[in-house]
Formats: sequence, structure tokens, C-alpha cells
Amino acid sequence: MRTIVIRAALLSLASCARLFAAAPLPAEHLTLTSMPPDNLHRIYVLDEAFFNEIDARVHIFDGDTYRRLGQIDVGFTPGFNLSPDGKTSVAATTYFARGSRGTRTDVVEFTDNATLKTTHEIVLPPKRAMTLPTYFNLGFSADSRFLYVSYVTPAASFGVLDPAKYTVIDEIDTAGCVLVIPSGPNRVSSICESGNLLTVTLDAQGHEASRAFSDVFFDADKDPIFAQGVPETNGYAFISFLGEVHEVDFSGAQPAIRKPWPLLAAADKAAHWRPGGQQIGAIHRHLNRLYVPMHQGGEGSHKEGGTEIWVFDLSTHQRVARWPLAAQKLSGVVAIQVSQDEAPLLFAADDRSELAVFDALTGKLRHVEKQMGQTPWLILNN
Amino acid sequence: MRSIDRLFEKSSRALAQRTSRRSLLAALGQVLTGAALIPLLPIDRSARAGEAPSNPKAKAANPVTDDPKSCDYWKYCAVDGFLCSCCGGSSNSCPPGTAPSPITWIGTCHNPGDDRDYIVSYNDCCGKVSCGNCECNRNEREKPMYRPSRNNDLNWCMANADSNYHCSVSVILGVAEK
Repeated sequence: MRTIVIRAALLSLASCARLFAAAPLPAEHLTLTSMPPDNLHRIYVLDEAFFNEIDARVHIFDGDTYRRLGQIDVGFTPGFNLSPDGKTSVAATTYFARGSRGTRTDVVEFTDNATLKTTHEIVLPPKRAMTLPTYFNLGFSADSRFLYVSYVTPAASFGVLDPAKYTVIDEIDTAGCVLVIPSGPNRVSSICESGNLLTVTLDAQGHEASRAFSDVFFDADKDPIFAQGVPETNGYAFISFLGEVHEVDFSGAQPAIRKPWPLLAAADKAAHWRPGGQQIGAIHRHLNRLYVPMHQGGEGSHKEGGTEIWVFDLSTHQRVARWPLAAQKLSGVVAIQVSQDEAPLLFAADDRSELAVFDALTGKLRHVEKQMGQTPWLILNN
Repeated sequence: MRSIDRLFEKSSRALAQRTSRRSLLAALGQVLTGAALIPLLPIDRSARAGEAPSNPKAKAANPVTDDPKSCDYWKYCAVDGFLCSCCGGSSNSCPPGTAPSPITWIGTCHNPGDDRDYIVSYNDCCGKVSCGNCECNRNEREKPMYRPSRNNDLNWCMANADSNYHCSVSVILGVAEK
């Protein structure tokens, strides 16, 4: 017993000696981290927070350092988008006066992406489309003069807002067509149940000047297009449930609809390959590459995440690569985005809330970020 | 019958694109107000036609069940949300303290127990934050939001006084006649 006591005392003395020998840690100063300069590998990941839906947020993530740079709070079933210059985030959202209940306030909030401070807001009529996030829930005109917000009550219309004066200018009925696809300085297109597009052209004050319907280009019964488009040069590619690609050029006074082309060869169809998820494609404009999460499914599988990412050449419509994800230990990919630089990164969010970062040229996995919120369903970038 | 349906559908769409929001609202009010007017609803009768539902691999792993707390229960063939059966309610009853959505969307599910197709109303229960229990995401014959009467991405609590989404029920409205 005596030996044990002596040993313990010696041990204690040795520890104290080490403590006394080392220099103490300096006092720290509480600081506030600034946002780093913007870069082409920064992404904005919208977590819809489906399991506690009043608390959605946008995580800002750097694809080079794999650092989370900060967060924007975006409320209940928000729409989210960036200004054309990338300096401002806008969220169309809803708050309840008592947290989860009480008076509903619909609002567009503006956040400065250099500081992540919410700087302005525009209160909307209580009509905002409460639905999944797409590029088309709200968006700016090309010159940032107007901001458009999709309304569904369930009657469909959209709001025209002035993002300089922070006012609502007008509400425009869209005759059952939904969402806002801005083009040029003063045009807004919406997707119609009949399989066509409605395009409303505004006057200089933001009121309706004229409207026109496009030709019917898809069949909402037999092969509907996803309501989410894929941005490309001069327009969007709309992918159908069965894998037809409908490219629409929005650069003219009216949308120009190109001849559709298939993602699937006969053998792919026989094996029941399909596109699926929430954000169902991304295009690198200079490389002319289309990336699509694909799965093997059937009727009703259109929200299933991709088990592979397929890469297509938009010029030749040929598949140039397929990247299986199971080997990377990723689950079904539900949202996808690609950076637009010469060393592009492909970002893919899966249904386990993981965010994977790939080399978009080779498909090589560079990083997996765990727990990117609960339900990361939209990834935006500049 | 199908040709009559199609004719009705086409004329409805043409009308919708010609008429104002006010009249569209009135029309929607007639169509989307619950069970009393259901016989007037355009019903998707393509339920059994065409290919097998959903992912064959998933189906093989999830045999038919009568458990209303299971996403595989036949009535839930197009539920995307949280099952009210796991949130204090049942497959056709909202949990205490919530409010049923008066507007909704309508689908068709096949009951393997009696080999019949049933018209199902997918109502949301509203006024509390999402239940978070028994998430269920099935989308048979579900369409994007430009076809709202077939869409489960919209928050159908949107027109409630408290429009927060809590959970979803599946209410049998009747047998879908073939």
C-alpha cells in the first residue's frame, strides 16, 4: 500500500512539472469570421429540412477547401435563387407568427452574399407557391430590373417585384400555367398542363404587355417533363420522366423548342433506366456536357435518386461516360450541379444528405461531406 | 368513356388557358373541395395500364402489407410525406390539434386484397410542424406541379388558416370503375 502511495505521489509531481514547464496558452480574442472572396467552386445547398419544415436553410460550401462557409435561414418550403451578378441571394418563404402556427407572412428576403446578412425584404400577398425548390420558384430578369415570384393558391399567377425599390409591382394571372422562367429583360414563361409554355411579356413598368402560348412539345400524361429545368446556353433543357431531352431556347421574343432527343438507347430502356431525383441535371456550358442522375425504376420512380451519373455530349447527344455511385458508397443522388470553370467540379447530394464532390472531367471522387442538412434538394452556384 | 374523358380534359384545358384567374378559382373551387363532389372529378383510369409500378427491386424487398404504419400499405401508392398513422391519427384521420386540408389531389391505388382500383383522396393535415415520423415517398401516377390535381409536391395546406404541413392521409372515396 505504501509503495502505491509513493508511486502516485511521484507520478503527480511529474505531471505537475510538465505542466509548469510548458508555456501557458495565450488568451484568445473572440472574433467574427468574414466570408472569403467568391469563387467558381462555391455552392449554395438548399436543405428543405423536411423533418422540421419551418426551418429550411442554405449551406454555403467551398468545393476547394471543403469548408462550410456559412448559412442563410430560409423558413418554410422556400424558393431560392441568386441574382445575375451572384452577389445577392433571394429566398421566397413563409413565416408563421408563433413559430409553427399563427398569422402567415409570405416574404422575399435579400441576403448579401459577401456578409451573409439579410439586408432587405419584400412582403408578398399570402399566395407564394409552397412547393419543392426549383430554379423557377423565383428569379430575376436578366438585367435585374424585375424579380418574379411564383404564386399558387392553387390558382396560378406570379408576382412582379421591384428589387431596387423593394416593392410589389403587379400580379399576373397565368391561366393555370405554373412557375416563373425569366428570359431577357421583360419576359416570363410558365409551364402549362397542356404540354406547352405561356410567355408573358412585360412593359417597362412591369405590367403585362402581351402573352402567347408556345406549341405543345410534351405530353403530361404519357411522358411529363420534370418541372425542374437544367440551365444551358440561351435556355433550359427539360428532361422527361422517360428520358427525352427537350431543349428550349429562351433568347428570342418567344421560346424556340428544339427537336427532342433521348438519353436512353434501346438496351437502356429495356433495363428500365430513368432520370430521377429533385434537381435532375446539370450542364457545363463550355464543355457542352450534360450530367444526369439515373436509376433503374418504373412508374412512380421519378423521385428516386440516381445510382449512376450519366454524362452526355450536348452536340452529338451521345453518352460519353457513366459513373456508378455504389462503389463510392454513395446513396441515390437527388440533386446535381457543376461549376462552370475549366477545372470543373461536379457536386452531387444524395438521399442520405451527403454531398459528394467529383472531378467533373474524370468522375474521380474528391470528397464526401457528411450531413449536409436533412434534405439537400437544390444546389446553386455562379 | 375514355374518349369522353379526353374530350372533357382537352376542352377543360383550352378553357383554362382562355379564362381569368377568378373563373379558374371558381372552377378549382368546384373541383377540389373534397368528397362530396368527387363523382365530378376527372379520374385517372390508367392505373392498371402500362408498366409495373415503381422500382421492381424495391417491390420485391417490400411485400404487400395491411399495416397502415407502413409505407408499403396499398392506399399510400402516391403519398409523399409523413404518415398520419404514425403521428397520432390514422390512414384516414388527422391527428388531434391539426386541421384537414379542404383542398387536395386525387389518385388511384390498386388494392391487391380484393384486386380493385380505388379512388383515393390525399389530404394533408395542417397547423403543426412536419411530424417527422414514418416518411413515405411513393409517386405512382404522380405528375409535376403543372398538373396540380395529380401533384404531391404542393403543400396542400396552402389554403388553410394555418398552412403549416404536418402529415398526410389517404382517404378512400370509392371504387374506380373500369
